[in-house]
Amino acid sequence: MTTATIPSTTPLAGAATTPPASFWNTLGAEWSKVATLRSTYLTLGLGLFLSVATTAVASVAMGATNTAWPEEFDPILFSMVGNVFALIVYSVFGVLAVSREYSSGTIRLTLIATPARHKVLFAKLLLVTLTILAFGMLTTIAMFLVGQALLGAYGFPTTTLAETDAQWVVLGLGATMPFFSIIGLALGVLLRSTAGGITTVLGLLWLPQIFGEFMPAWGQEHIISLFPGSALDSMTLGQMMSAPPYSAPPLAALLAATWLFAIVGAAYVAFQRRDA
Amino acid sequence: MIEVNDVTKQYGDTVAVDHLSFAVKPGIVTGFLGPNGAGKTTTMRMILGLDTPSSGQVTVNGRSYRDIPAPMHEVGALLDAKAAYGGHTAQQHLRWIARAGGIPEKRVGDVLDIVGLADVAGRRVGGFSLGMYQRLGIAVALLGDPRILIFDEPVNGLDPEGIRWIRSFLQQLAADGRTILLSSHLMSEMEETADHIIVIGRGRLIADESIAAFTQRSRSSHVRVVSPRAADLAPLLERAGAIVTRAEGALSVTGMEAPQIGNLAAANGIEVHELATRRASLEAAFMELTESSLQYQADAKKIAAVA
Ligand SMILES: Nc1ncnc2c1ncn2[C@@H]1O[C@H](COP(=O)(O)OP(=O)(O)OP(=O)(O)O)[C@@H](O)[C@H]1O
Ligand SMILES: [Mg+2]
Repeated sequence: MTTATIPSTTPLAGAATTPPASFWNTLGAEWSKVATLRSTYLTLGLGLFLSVATTAVASVAMGATNTAWPEEFDPILFSMVGNVFALIVYSVFGVLAVSREYSSGTIRLTLIATPARHKVLFAKLLLVTLTILAFGMLTTIAMFLVGQALLGAYGFPTTTLAETDAQWVVLGLGATMPFFSIIGLALGVLLRSTAGGITTVLGLLWLPQIFGEFMPAWGQEHIISLFPGSALDSMTLGQMMSAPPYSAPPLAALLAATWLFAIVGAAYVAFQRRDA
Repeated sequence: MIEVNDVTKQYGDTVAVDHLSFAVKPGIVTGFLGPNGAGKTTTMRMILGLDTPSSGQVTVNGRSYRDIPAPMHEVGALLDAKAAYGGHTAQQHLRWIARAGGIPEKRVGDVLDIVGLADVAGRRVGGFSLGMYQRLGIAVALLGDPRILIFDEPVNGLDPEGIRWIRSFLQQLAADGRTILLSSHLMSEMEETADHIIVIGRGRLIADESIAAFTQRSRSSHVRVVSPRAADLAPLLERAGAIVTRAEGALSVTGMEAPQIGNLAAANGIEVHELATRRASLEAAFMELTESSLQYQADAKKIAAVA
């Protein structure tokens, strides 16, 4: 360790003979960066565990305190009660994908290796989207199956994934799970801070809902429904619930896409222009 | 070849780099010197495309760093050795960077050998000592086997053994014919390592020359003259334009080189027992020149405030 070893005697590559680094190099680098970090597995595992456990506990509590199924509850929606934790943890995952680079200082290594910054941003977006899509699906399907099995054990009515309503809700919630992770990632780029990114994404996720509770129907319909959380819910739950703040699924999809493009677009511009 | 062309960088009201121009010549070690806050790191960040100049251009081999298709094969850099995920092993750290640069994975083992970290390749970086971090940072810079290397204060915080290692290591890299830009605020580092120095103070260029030329510019470079007829020689030298101070039985002469002093003494039949050129140490020359630049800055501000 303390002896100076002779440096490379391999022939110098020479820039002219080297192929340019491709997008796949960048994606591969981002993958090996996160796939080797324990925090990646802890975060994803936590999201899955908390949401499924919440559904299980709620189902058992329901079964233990009620002899008959209460009319106002829907068994599909009921089993999705843990989704709130998946949303929190997976959006934090999105924030961390970028903010961790700033807190550790590795952002400079990343950008020295890949000065074409759009490649770095797209690689991160793609990786987070695919990961959370997989984990989102896994989470909602697991919640559904666990929820239905436990409710069935108490003799309550259950459904299966063969039903259209169940498909909309379970697969819809799973497929749209990356939405707030992407927003989180973009906020990580814009704010470059873990705490700031998490606070903002969670605020965007819930503040409208919380204030919405105190608003008259007009406010729910014209203000709260415009926020990304409502838009996202409308895409999956709008099928079953038509009251404000939910809007029709096509309109909701348009709204959600607008939010996504606005925030990711701002992150793109900032990432390209700002000093690292 | 790195070219910095009339570059200014402002962060809000702070002018970190002020109309700076220089070129880093290929195949030699160039020392990049300046006191704390002089703008060395800022300049290096601009060379590496991390920060964008407020005005002016910085190019590497004729184009902006951000336009180099395979930059790690052309330029290797060590900015902040501690930039790493503590949970990664040394090998995992180098692997993701190698992948980003399109560098074969085999090279990771090679650079770990080169910097002497092969034994700890599987250890988590979070437990590394500062010296190990510096070696890891150098390993990162060497991944693409680049012809140009940029090191920001590589010896900062190292013990004498670590400093010795880096110094000899840099000399070996230079012997390979690589271009090295090496920043430091320690002049003494450069005396043995650098062929050429670029000195900045408050973001401005103070010197861009060989070490010999730099030290010669300093007032503390002088010729020591010992003569039994010093009292006769001193006025002759002064009349010829030299500045003479009498010290400990000898004359200390500035503003005139040794050969002219010898000739003048001979022409007047004055015997000389000792005639020696004393170069200022790099450290002394640096202190003097950067101090005067800071002094000048302060004075200029005062004048501006009065006017
Ligand atoms: N990102 C930044 N935002 C604001 N000011 C900055 C930033 N980076 C550098 N500066 C300022 O620019 C000036 C030059 O800083 P720089 O780090 O380039 O100096 P340096 O020569 O590397 O100093 P040192 O020897 O201490 O490392 C300092 O006044 C510093 O405070
Ligand atoms: Mg510095």
